[in-house]
Amino acid sequence: MLRRTALSAAALLAAGTLVLAGCTGGADPAPSATVGTSNPDASVSIRLVLEPSNLDIRQTAGISLDQTLIDNVYQGLVARTAEGEITDSLASSHEVSADGLTYTFTLREGVVFHDGQPLTPQDVVSSLTTRQATPAWADSERLANVASIAADGQTITVTLTQPDSALLWNLTGRAGIILKEGDTVDYNTAANGTGPFRLANWRQGASLTLERNDAYWGDAAQVADVTFDFIPDNQAAINAALAGEIDVIVGFDANLADQVEAGGDFAVQTGSATDKSVLAMNSTSGALADPRVREAIRTAIDHDAIVEAVGAGQTLFGPIPEPDPGYEDLSDVVAYDPEAARALLSEAGVDDLTLTLTIPSAYDSTLPQILVSNLNDVGIDLQVDPVDFGTWLSDVYTNKDYELSVVNHAEPRDFENWADPDYYFTYDNPEVQELYAQSLAATDEAAASDLLAQAARIVSEDHAADWLYNWASVVAVATNVSGMPVDNVNARIDLAEIAKSDG
Amino acid sequence: MTRYALTRLGLLLLGLVVASVLIFLTLRVLPGDVAQQIAGTNSTPEQVAAIRERLGLDVPLTTQYAQWIGGLLMGDLGASLVTGTPVAAELAAKAQVTVPLGLMSMAVALLIALPFGILAALRRGRADGTLLSFGAQTLAAVPVVWAGMMLVVVFAVWLGWLPAQGFPRDGWREPGRALASLVLPAVTIGVVEGAMLMRFVRSATLAAMGQDFVRTAAAKGLTRRAALLRHGLPTVGLSIISVLGLQVAGIVVGAVVIEQLFTLPGIGRMLVADVGLRDLPKVQGELLTLTAVVLVVGFVVDLVHRGLDPRQREAS
Repeated sequence: MLRRTALSAAALLAAGTLVLAGCTGGADPAPSATVGTSNPDASVSIRLVLEPSNLDIRQTAGISLDQTLIDNVYQGLVARTAEGEITDSLASSHEVSADGLTYTFTLREGVVFHDGQPLTPQDVVSSLTTRQATPAWADSERLANVASIAADGQTITVTLTQPDSALLWNLTGRAGIILKEGDTVDYNTAANGTGPFRLANWRQGASLTLERNDAYWGDAAQVADVTFDFIPDNQAAINAALAGEIDVIVGFDANLADQVEAGGDFAVQTGSATDKSVLAMNSTSGALADPRVREAIRTAIDHDAIVEAVGAGQTLFGPIPEPDPGYEDLSDVVAYDPEAARALLSEAGVDDLTLTLTIPSAYDSTLPQILVSNLNDVGIDLQVDPVDFGTWLSDVYTNKDYELSVVNHAEPRDFENWADPDYYFTYDNPEVQELYAQSLAATDEAAASDLLAQAARIVSEDHAADWLYNWASVVAVATNVSGMPVDNVNARIDLAEIAKSDG
Repeated sequence: MTRYALTRLGLLLLGLVVASVLIFLTLRVLPGDVAQQIAGTNSTPEQVAAIRERLGLDVPLTTQYAQWIGGLLMGDLGASLVTGTPVAAELAAKAQVTVPLGLMSMAVALLIALPFGILAALRRGRADGTLLSFGAQTLAAVPVVWAGMMLVVVFAVWLGWLPAQGFPRDGWREPGRALASLVLPAVTIGVVEGAMLMRFVRSATLAAMGQDFVRTAAAKGLTRRAALLRHGLPTVGLSIISVLGLQVAGIVVGAVVIEQLFTLPGIGRMLVADVGLRDLPKVQGELLTLTAVVLVVGFVVDLVHRGLDPRQREAS
């Protein structure tokens, strides 16, 4: 029994964090009780599932780099809160011109990098221009609309060729990270940023340790160091927590809450997340090219049962999750109705349909099992083909050689993929592409999200894919730890507020 | 003996060459590549192509193989495509976990297999002997992951005697903690391997008991047990040396699973990660080194066996 729980737990957990890489979410210091006074010499240990393959934040994709290094080690002119609001970081203030073409930032004075070099306006100019000019670097295309970047004293001016409602948001991610110009640090294995923590020790295959940066420009971190322990197995993580070896479990399986809470030393907290479990449908050929077949599949899936089985999260019927701009409840588009699904299939003239679901093997088998049973109910034979992530990347992502696929898309504000006909979703609708372009060009936030909402509704009504559910961000936190972010920790973990008491 | 050793050495070298080709080719069959892994899922084909070019992945396979072998002959195992770290340095670092883990597992396996295996042989046909054999069979069938989990629950979570996972940040500079963190993993592998080894010790002992010189010694007045201990065990020891060579491979496989479960930064965990990343030059170096270790152990075992066993020496 223990073994079964352990294995399914491990798989589910791995699933929870095997996410698509890229520019990602916010962090939110959740209110949690502090017992006793916090100890500034404390060490906090946080369990993560995935470890970075290397530390090069400039060109290596991967959510674990965002989780560990952004906000904590590397910073941009602006940062984002858990609610997705943009705040100033290395800039003390910023302003956007009415026409949306000029962004003016005032750079903070007295900021130094971890190696002691001062942050200069020229570092900002060079960071952003190099990023834009180096297509091989992650997210460089997010600065595509930038015409010029100039510094005058502590004032940085970014001029655009056309308005870009996503620019500030993009600057809070990889695209906006500020590095020292001409730095000689070996980015593969070391780091040199301006954040409240500096990289102390990376032991590949085990852990990454950050220590407090005593020369930090803002409020100093409240713990001496934080270690991210990379523990793929969920039961192993619970055991480590119960044995007192780790303080926080990120990517926790909500079904196991009783186990970790039983001793009273841990509390399970649930926050919002922008993770979308997407059932992609290759609509370029075969039965899936027929929208009625895709609608039948969506109608055959019992989304409530999925949420119940996973133990956290909520249903989602379109490409935009609740925390993101443009969200709208689209549950009117499809409803669970096997009878209707069968009718749609016969209307489409499809019987004896066999489909293959290509899914990363690290994912738990719960989702595929529900899908097999739901689709079997309406006469579709679903073959599940688990592949390792490298194979998934090449077969599904690059070559689009698949029928159905399930992957968790963790990034917030990633609607762009539905406006990109070359993305592996294979969805090509000029109307959606136009609406998305208009939304980007909008200078008014409300207008921008309204346009996104219109586009999202069309994507859902076209049954471009199914959204199995919107994940929750679930963490188990030791009761003597406070300030641990809870929202969106699958994407980013801001440690600025974390504290630990001896009690 | 010299001729035998030279022939055996020739076979060892041939084995390494064949292994290098097989490792190189089988890895190329894997779909996906490291450039795609580095670029991730928000990348354009141009980004992937640029990374591929930077890493030198766009050269023909024969050239890649030649470069690899050329480096090997110069004593260079190559470098990771992902971090740029030399493979030899990575192996040396990870070996500090895996080698002690392997030795401890082996020690646990022998501590279980030798006494219980001999006892099971001596008690053959009796209730306790049957029970021992049955126990060994059951233990050998236990999944390593489950065994490890049970040990953790009892000794780390309930009793709090040993760490549940991980290896000290400072490694062997904290010898006590380092050793403690290897105990549960080593016992996990050792129990399962030991149960398998025990069945072998039992049959080797039974075979020894049936041999003429043991029977003669017994006929001269020694008890069956004394005759076995004094005259039979050396031959049991010889057969066990051969089997230990094979155990090395078993322990390497066990380490892959156990290091994952206990988050130990060893060779097994590194290998799994590198295959996942498609860091092929690194995987090649790691696999070839592991293959070489197993082949060399086999080579040494054969030589030792031949040197120690008078019957084989006379035959050559």
